[in-house]
Amino acid sequence: MSPNPFFLLSVLLFSIGLIGIVSRKNLFIAYMSVELMLSSVNLILATLSKVLGDANGSVMALLLIAVIASEAAIFLAMIIHLYKYYKTLDSDKLDDLKERS
Amino acid sequence: MARSLAVQEINTLELIIFCILSIFMLGGSITMITSKQTIFSAFGFLITMLGLAGMFALLDSRFLAIAQIMVSVGAIVVLSMLTILTINSKDENLPKEEHKYKLILLSLIITLPFAILLYKTLSTLPHYFATTKAINAKIVGELLFSKWILPFEIISILLLVAMLGAIVIARGKIFKKEVHK
Repeated sequence: MSPNPFFLLSVLLFSIGLIGIVSRKNLFIAYMSVELMLSSVNLILATLSKVLGDANGSVMALLLIAVIASEAAIFLAMIIHLYKYYKTLDSDKLDDLKERS
Repeated sequence: MARSLAVQEINTLELIIFCILSIFMLGGSITMITSKQTIFSAFGFLITMLGLAGMFALLDSRFLAIAQIMVSVGAIVVLSMLTILTINSKDENLPKEEHKYKLILLSLIITLPFAILLYKTLSTLPHYFATTKAINAKIVGELLFSKWILPFEIISILLLVAMLGAIVIARGKIFKKEVHK
């Protein structure tokens, strides 16, 4: 089996994550889209680790999983904090820094 | 002859497993970005992460598959589902997105050339897998504690800082309670 389907799948997942973060306003969906993009990079790393016959890519993907976990912790804490004060999940309502005319 | 036939069968089996897993992953991720209720998108995310663990197992990265199931599925997705259920947002607190599908279509059109470019770049790499043995925990551990020891330590500090930051942010006494609206 050739590595090209894996590359195609990870590119598709990355694009879906990008589309999700651009087009949706729900904070949770933005969070999950960021996670999806990072995970698709993980898939590329694992595939390259098999293509080159080198375990370093797997180790890098393992470290990236830890980065994804810490990002999830911070992002969820921020969502809880924002929901406590704004009572909404709409990212368009978070515009306190916008210039008011 | 028999050996090549066996290799052929294994390849077909791998292709079938790949197709099933990729259908699950793409379906899960499309559910994730299109559904209005947040918990359904969390379920789609769960299916995508499980499929990704299957892909790692298919790529012979066994330790990575186990770590993916333990960390991504067992911790991240469960944590986000817990957060979604704790927040328990009503429908009026969710964003009103009347032009959701139009926006998705527009961003799909914008994203598509970059995706094609990325795929073309990646497919200039070799078209075959190097025949190596499975990347198990022994190889990963030896590399992690010899060559990758500095990134490992940095990431442990990052996890510590993220934990402290999450506790401090979610306690929520850092800002005064004045919101303009």
